[in-house]
Amino acid sequence: MEIIQIIGLGFVVTLLILIIKQQRPEIAVQLSLALATIIFLMVLSKINVVLNLFRDMAAKANISSMYLNTILKIIGIAYVTEFGAQVCRDAGEGAVAGKIEFAGKVLVMVMAIPIIALVLDTIVRLIP
Amino acid sequence: MELDLIFKIAGVGILVSVFHIALKQAGKEDMAHLCTLAGFTIVLLWVVQLLGRLFNTVQDVFKLF
Repeated sequence: MEIIQIIGLGFVVTLLILIIKQQRPEIAVQLSLALATIIFLMVLSKINVVLNLFRDMAAKANISSMYLNTILKIIGIAYVTEFGAQVCRDAGEGAVAGKIEFAGKVLVMVMAIPIIALVLDTIVRLIP
Repeated sequence: MELDLIFKIAGVGILVSVFHIALKQAGKEDMAHLCTLAGFTIVLLWVVQLLGRLFNTVQDVFKLF
């Protein structure tokens, strides 16, 4: 039951942040950043197993690895962007968080361009 | 799991705030600020190393780049 561990860790760190925040707000932000990183690392090893299963299934179904890799890259960019934006928003910098999310959206669009081009190509070929 | 890192950061935070108050009471404002800066830098070093590991792991898992 890893979720119990994570919830307990979250409670403990919340109390520590409450103690430190009045005196040293910058170290409180770093504490929450460290907690977010550790939880992310713990969850990432689980995600790895699921993604390997997806890769195996895609290889069995003869789906081109380009599609799956693009989707995985987009999911990765989305996770990391959300992580960075949340940390900035926690520290009270909503503007910086907005910029990070904007950059993430643009990069996701750039990643999707080959697939969009392929779809448009197919549609153009279908039209006589 | 590196749970000790979190407790190390919290310990540094509490210690630095105590030092800050003590040095301020003793009338050494500049030393108090230097102490705060040193604590912040040490914690930043740990957090940046952890973040570097996180981003390397994300790149490995999602095959970015």
